[in-house]
Amino acid sequence: MSAKARVRRTNFMLDIALFIICILLLTPLILLIANGFKTPQEMLVWPPTLFPKDPTLQNFQKVFTETPLLRWMFNSFAFAILSTVAIVSTSALAGYIIGKFPFRSVNVIFVLFLATAIIPFEVYMIPLYFQVKALGFLNSIGGLLVGYLVMSFGIFLIRQNVIASIPDELLEAARIDGGGELWIFWHVVLPLLRGPLAALAVLAFFQAWTAFAWPIVVTTRKTSFTIEVGLANFQSAYTIDLSLLSAASAAVMVPSVIAFVLLRRNFVEGIAASGMKE
Amino acid sequence: MATVEVKELRKSFDDVETLHGISFSIPDGSFVALVGPSGCGKSTILRLIAGLEEITSGDIHIGGNLINDIEPKNRNIAMVFQNYALYPHLTVAKNMGFSLKLLKKSKAEIERAVKEAAEILGIGELLHRLPKQLSGGQRQRVAMGRAIVRQPQVFLFDEPLSNLDAKLRVQMRAELKELHRRLATTTIYVTHDQIEAMTMADIVVVMRDGHVEQVGRPLELYDNPVNQFVAGFIGSPAMNFFSVRTDAGSDEMVLSDGQRLLKPTHAALDGSYIIGIRPEHIRLDGNGASFEAFIQSSEQTGSETLLQARLADQEITILLRERFDTSLGDAHKFLVDSAAIQVFDTKTGVRVEP
Repeated sequence: MSAKARVRRTNFMLDIALFIICILLLTPLILLIANGFKTPQEMLVWPPTLFPKDPTLQNFQKVFTETPLLRWMFNSFAFAILSTVAIVSTSALAGYIIGKFPFRSVNVIFVLFLATAIIPFEVYMIPLYFQVKALGFLNSIGGLLVGYLVMSFGIFLIRQNVIASIPDELLEAARIDGGGELWIFWHVVLPLLRGPLAALAVLAFFQAWTAFAWPIVVTTRKTSFTIEVGLANFQSAYTIDLSLLSAASAAVMVPSVIAFVLLRRNFVEGIAASGMKE
Repeated sequence: MATVEVKELRKSFDDVETLHGISFSIPDGSFVALVGPSGCGKSTILRLIAGLEEITSGDIHIGGNLINDIEPKNRNIAMVFQNYALYPHLTVAKNMGFSLKLLKKSKAEIERAVKEAAEILGIGELLHRLPKQLSGGQRQRVAMGRAIVRQPQVFLFDEPLSNLDAKLRVQMRAELKELHRRLATTTIYVTHDQIEAMTMADIVVVMRDGHVEQVGRPLELYDNPVNQFVAGFIGSPAMNFFSVRTDAGSDEMVLSDGQRLLKPTHAALDGSYIIGIRPEHIRLDGNGASFEAFIQSSEQTGSETLLQARLADQEITILLRERFDTSLGDAHKFLVDSAAIQVFDTKTGVRVEP
């Protein structure tokens, strides 16, 4: 067999393997979307049908009329966007300072930041809840945000990037050129951190978008639920309305898929940029 | 343009003093090289003048004004860094106009200044490129352009040529010198390469371990070094040093292997000394007092012959301005011009004045 043929055969095998993995990953998603269009009777048919025999929009109608699904999506969206903005700005600022102003006190603070990463959120969730309650932030975006303004990993990520890709001389040149510290941060440091910041933004957005434990603790009113909490609500102690849940989940997937498609390039670029030195 | 005056400058990092009272003054418009082995504190001085480090004690004056506590941006200086420190996300034109933009100059004014500087440096076509699209030499020019645009009182260069290849370095040396001639701006240039210092500077400041060893014109340092360190540091290939004994009555000096050299006529020497002989002051034997050395290697460049030989259990470098055929291990007789021998005190290394 010639080398060319061997390469072609290897590629063909790879294609098959990837195709199978793809099917395995996509089937549950397709089933979920399909279920949204099924009647309650068809839901329980075994084996499950991949394409509904008698597609109906009833589930979607019901979801949008009987539950504040759009409201939940808005809550989640606002929560995730604000959390992303907060995490990106705090990480950029803190990461830069820790990376470029290594005074002893700054290093102590950095170690403390890292230490917070090893304490599981569940440990301080309840005390945090009482604080939020005392502040009167329950059932509000503010309350949701309390645990999602700073990300220790984000600070670490930016610090590493600052150290690896922003030489001291660059900042010194800017100081001689006449830039103040804030000006330098804004016009020299931030543009150079675009890649890692974009990667962090994607990370932060999906962290907030998929958050469950904290939102279910701080939101008790139906209108202030996030989408994750809302979806869980379809599931009561005794019954699950599968067709409604499927329809709601399918509807919810739309913005998150769009967001990923839009940010995917940034994400890959960010990881690539932070992984290699020029 | 301005004079620069450094007085009793001291700098400590965490209780370790790295500069021990440095003083020198730089006349208006001159090109001064700070030269010395790495770790001697030359870059630190530059950073103190730039205001990037805080002065522990002492004074720096630029143009007669005390600038100890003035921020870097208000010192009216420009600095060129070893790694160029160009802003990677900005085009060449924006890199060069950065400082003017900060001074809130008008767009037209910035454009004119950038264009002018680009013309001087021959980088007019590169103005819209990003630094990563430039070669090392081009980046170097952009970094200089960024300095020129500001029309500073003083240029500070921190080993600006050390990232370039040998050929480009020689070319940039000439360009820098020419640039200084055109702009006549006071320039302080830090380098560890004594050839750069010798070829470019009007005044050379030789440093070692946080002290100034000697300040002078290049050839002055070469001909009249104050001590063994300066004698050994300036000049390439470097000066040869040998221990000798002599007494007041004799007109000869004895090397450790018993060979004799003529005493420099001017010196009344008595006791042990270190003598310094520059490689080019050794000639093939004619007549007169000479020494014998064993050839260890020979490099022919066509116009010159560089020999490494063994004399008195030591290496000696000999530079002949002629072709010379020899084989390894051969013994040859060489002659030293005794007037060119420099004599140093064995203990202090200080030169014994003629």
